[in-house]
Amino acid sequence: MVNAIFIIATGLGTAFLLGLLKDEWRTAAYGITLAALALMSWIAASWVAALAWGGAATVDIFTAGTEPPFAINLRMGLPEAVLTLLVNLASLLAAVYLRDTMFKQGRRAMAVLLIFAMALCGIILTRDLFNLFVFFELTVISTGGLILLSRDKRALGAGFKYLIASQVISILLLVGIIFSYHATGTLNIDGMASMSAQLLQGGSLAFFLMFIAIVAELKPFPANGWALDIYESAHPAFSAMLSAAAGSAALFAVDKLLLIGGTQWLPVATAIGIVSFIGANLFALAQNVDRRTLGYSSIAQIGLVLTVLGQRDILGDSYLYIAGGILLAHAISKAGLYWLSGLVEGRELTAWTALRGRPLLIFAFVTFLALLIGLPPFPGFYAKWDLIHTLAAQDRIMLLTLILFGALIEAGYLFRWFGYVIKREQTTERVACTPHKVAVVYGAVIAGWTAAYLWGNLSPHGNLLHTLPLLFALGFLLLEWLPVWIKNTIAIIGLVAWFILGFPDYDPLQLIFAAVILIGGALILLSSYHVQGRRIGFYPSAMLMYAGLAMLITADDSFSFFAAWESLTVGSYFLILRGKHSEPHALSYIIFSLGGAFLILAGFALASQGVMDFQLQALGQVTEPLSAWVFMLLAIGFMTKTAAIGVHIWLPGAHAEAETDVSPMVSGILLKAGLFGLFMLLMNMGKQQLYGIELTHVMLWIGALSALLGNLMAIFQEDAKRLLAYSSIGQMGYALFGLAMMNHLGWLMALMFVINHYIYKSMLFLSVGGIAKRTGTREMYRMGGLITLMPLSFIAVLIGIIAVSGVPPLSGFGGRWIFYNAIMTADHRLPMIIIFLAGPIAFLYLFRLIHTIFLGQLKDEHRRLKEAPFWLILPQMIYVACLLIFAVVPGMALRHVDSYLNQFFPNHGLNWEGLTITSSFGYWSPISIMLVIGTIFATVLAWLLFVNRKAQKVKQFNMVFAAERPYRPETTHYAWNFFAPYRKALGFLTQPLVTRFWEALTDLLHSLAELLRRFYCGNGQTYAIHLLGFVVVVYLLKVGL
Amino acid sequence: MEFEWIKIPYSLLTLFIVINFGLLLTALIQKIGARVGRRHGIPIYQNYIDLIKNYAIRSSITHGFMFYLGPVFRLSGGVGLLLFVPTIYGSEMFSNLSFAGDLILALYFVFFGALGMALGAGESGHPHAAIGVSRGLSQMTAAELPFALAVFSVALQYQTLSVTDIVAAQQGGVLNWTLFTNPFAVTAAMFSFLGSMMRPPFDVVLAPQEIPIGPPTEYHSSYLALMQTNRVIFPVAKIVIYMNLFFGGAASWPVFFLKVFLIYMVSVFVGVAFPRFRVEQSIRWFLIWAMPLGILAIVLV
Repeated sequence: MVNAIFIIATGLGTAFLLGLLKDEWRTAAYGITLAALALMSWIAASWVAALAWGGAATVDIFTAGTEPPFAINLRMGLPEAVLTLLVNLASLLAAVYLRDTMFKQGRRAMAVLLIFAMALCGIILTRDLFNLFVFFELTVISTGGLILLSRDKRALGAGFKYLIASQVISILLLVGIIFSYHATGTLNIDGMASMSAQLLQGGSLAFFLMFIAIVAELKPFPANGWALDIYESAHPAFSAMLSAAAGSAALFAVDKLLLIGGTQWLPVATAIGIVSFIGANLFALAQNVDRRTLGYSSIAQIGLVLTVLGQRDILGDSYLYIAGGILLAHAISKAGLYWLSGLVEGRELTAWTALRGRPLLIFAFVTFLALLIGLPPFPGFYAKWDLIHTLAAQDRIMLLTLILFGALIEAGYLFRWFGYVIKREQTTERVACTPHKVAVVYGAVIAGWTAAYLWGNLSPHGNLLHTLPLLFALGFLLLEWLPVWIKNTIAIIGLVAWFILGFPDYDPLQLIFAAVILIGGALILLSSYHVQGRRIGFYPSAMLMYAGLAMLITADDSFSFFAAWESLTVGSYFLILRGKHSEPHALSYIIFSLGGAFLILAGFALASQGVMDFQLQALGQVTEPLSAWVFMLLAIGFMTKTAAIGVHIWLPGAHAEAETDVSPMVSGILLKAGLFGLFMLLMNMGKQQLYGIELTHVMLWIGALSALLGNLMAIFQEDAKRLLAYSSIGQMGYALFGLAMMNHLGWLMALMFVINHYIYKSMLFLSVGGIAKRTGTREMYRMGGLITLMPLSFIAVLIGIIAVSGVPPLSGFGGRWIFYNAIMTADHRLPMIIIFLAGPIAFLYLFRLIHTIFLGQLKDEHRRLKEAPFWLILPQMIYVACLLIFAVVPGMALRHVDSYLNQFFPNHGLNWEGLTITSSFGYWSPISIMLVIGTIFATVLAWLLFVNRKAQKVKQFNMVFAAERPYRPETTHYAWNFFAPYRKALGFLTQPLVTRFWEALTDLLHSLAELLRRFYCGNGQTYAIHLLGFVVVVYLLKVGL
Repeated sequence: MEFEWIKIPYSLLTLFIVINFGLLLTALIQKIGARVGRRHGIPIYQNYIDLIKNYAIRSSITHGFMFYLGPVFRLSGGVGLLLFVPTIYGSEMFSNLSFAGDLILALYFVFFGALGMALGAGESGHPHAAIGVSRGLSQMTAAELPFALAVFSVALQYQTLSVTDIVAAQQGGVLNWTLFTNPFAVTAAMFSFLGSMMRPPFDVVLAPQEIPIGPPTEYHSSYLALMQTNRVIFPVAKIVIYMNLFFGGAASWPVFFLKVFLIYMVSVFVGVAFPRFRVEQSIRWFLIWAMPLGILAIVLV
């Protein structure tokens, strides 16, 4: 094993060596620099390998042959090895990235870069305080030099401000060290740690000065105006190093210092960290310049790691895993994003649209964002899971809330940025694709995925990258070059195969959901054959969603459940974002979904009380009063997905603006994830009371209100897909209502809705999508009279609306019948009133849907329209068949579930003997109903055909019309504002109060960020005052008060 | 209850009786309405003449597939509704096809004809048809609510959804009728009844003056005949449900005829005395006056 001191020796030696070379030998100098950095990286890597897998032990290196405190010692343990590897690799990649600049600036720039890397390694390795100071000084000097590499004119000013701030920090640090040395008689960190009690007793100011100086190196919010100017104006390669490498090194220095400070200084670190995390994220909301946004995000992430450092007392063995996971994710992603920013010409966030058309760079961008936000399967995900669980177990609920809140804001602006990149008008500027720069970016991508794999392997919950569905979804990334029909076939086969594989192990409930998700998903995918070309990005996203869904229903423990939940959320977000105008809606979807997901995370964390391997069944054993809170958090989380009223505002836009075949996926299938979650929750936890209020009763009201308001809003929509989307809110309200009734038939009804809603909503979305494709509009009043041109679509919609409305003989009636039987035994009667009111309102929007599209007057521009494409029609016809079959033999699917539900509610099940289904209250015979109605209908029709056999088909305007003959379809088609009287009577109920509430909330956050960011005035002196003010405030809060 | 083939001729017999009764009843009601307005009114056999004439007219046109099926839906809805509910209590012969489903089936089957008819009228392309449907559906959502609440209340009261069982529970004297045991539910339901009988103040849907005749505007000849057939069956079928739920049912045909007539007359009394509401007015009326009674019925039962 090569001695770790060679890392420092190589850096320092090579930097001196470069000074001896002739200035013209730039290639040689550059080669030597790269070689030196490669050697340093290799040494660090070999230590990582030895310490992590080779069984080697932590090594102390004594520089002068004597032991401390008489000489300086360095230490190489696993954290040091990983961090030095990170620093050196980042520097190596930065050197590659900076090739052209280095050639221009010559060997001096290379020497400074080497010194920078070496100094950071020194900070990490050293165990001596004064030595630490020296390395910090070296970092400051080299930073000053490297800032000037930038072409940006502001860099000079930024560098100067940085030097001012650094001097303040240095003075604080030096004074602190002097006093500490005076108090303890040693400069060795470990020596001082063993005497910390003594030091802290009398010399707490001394420790404070050291501590605050190193913390200030982290550029904590709000004493960091100077740092942001550097992040913004420096060369991106250097910003990458500053964020990834220098940040990590400084954090490690804080970690060392906290050894001395002990537990009583941990809360200070926590407080500074969390303020930074939230403050910086909030400020980032108001940014529209890429590098400054990234700067704020860096500060936030470092703040988060500092918060984790502050939790050292409770994290125990997982401390390094958690802190390392977040730090590594931050470092890799931030470096990657800064490097990527070097490829983009413009500095606006929207300028990144230039990345479009380069799928690999988009993939890199997505990888970095996912790393940063902590989505599965990246290290931040595992780390956050463990962190939140530990915090919950130790009752640090406030901190937990703040962390999740900050993470949500962060996800908000990062996803907003992603939306810009994918959806905003593309800039004419091209990506500067120099191969070596692109290679560096890909290097970071590979590092990110490697870290994901490693963290998964280290995780006690199992590696997500070993789960077959996720791998299947990710595998589509490699198949992107294939045409759609091949990928589509593979996807369909995959879904069906996974269903067949899992079939023997599903219980009846899972079977219903699995059939809807997997077989149903395959059916919807049939419609994707109508797309030509390669459709890049569609299949990985769609399959990620399906993978998440498939994993969700078989999850046994809370971790796999949550990982599946996040996967399906992210997959569906990418899917929704594909729609032409879906940028704001996809953003609103992901923010609500992540907000919901964080509530679920918090709920699981509270429930588990520190048990890392928490089985979902154990939810039932959570005791009061905790159980009610757990229930509430999880329920709200799941209801966000079913778009219950109050958290529904994301749904209409997201479902309406999605692509033709995506709408049925996200409506027919994705919403069921929330229902499945609620099933799981209620099955395990049952009824819960919070302050005497029964929570299922509250859910009953929420369900009823969702049903009413969803339906009401649907009738006032002019856009067909929006109408269907609002109708989904109503339908999910019914299902929620059924679940919340907490009786046998209520649950059966909810399951019936799972099946029915999947079938008819998928079918209707496909029909409407096909029609919109042909007519070029989704506004219903622009259509009309399409029945003869698109008869098959008409049949699908007709069958669909009969089923939705619950009119016999189709399957919707079964749902209504079970509903009436269920409410007979319900505990609460008042919410029924709202449900009763909601029921008939469905007729209004359903009639409007079919009438304004297919009936009435055909428009001139539509006279030559053809039926929707075959591949859109085919699944619709299959759905029609399904609906008819399900209407006649509902027992096929439901009787097994019915008997399965007996274990939860033994009473009031249904009796499925013979043709008639009976309950304790009534009876229903689907086959008889179908036969009777069919016979009556056929007889009357035959009679009409007999008496009216000579009926002539007449032209469009041949009708009685107040002695005039209408001549324009537009003025004759009664369609716009169809239910005007209804609006007059009940329109006040559809005031967008909820939308206004959420808008006001986001506006408030944005205005706050906009207002407070003026705090950063750009003046170096003011920044120095900020810094001092920060120091004083922290001191007063910690020591003085 | 199981199906037997003999039920088919028995059901047809019920249908035959109800059609004839309905033809006479609606004519009588129209005549009463006319007399109140100091007009002479139609002869009592007028409906027979209209029906035969319309079935016999040979000239007919169609606006398309759905237009053709509209009246078929409408009449099937009326006939089905009648046959899904037992007509005469205690009579196996006139229990019709009620083995297929209970009260809920009847409640939801009411919409079958309305929906199909609305679709057929829509295909005619006539704006008045669409306007009529828009008004009708709007009004219906509010008018059905008190009825639904009343039905729920009655089902809770008797702990069953079977129409036969509900009638059985009301036997043994007038005071056992739901009318007296659950007056709030019955009042709420009767308010709702006014809204569904196409008489003032809730007849803006057909609005004979402003809009020729609402949804059926374009229908003529045999189409119209089918709808007229339904027009005589449907109110009776609907009243049968009210009679069974709230007024003790009928154990014989004479009682049946009397009760149906009297219940029908409720809407006539109100109709001749009050002017017409606009749609939004009737929606408000149902929500303000009828719905609270329904809520009371649910809470008190």
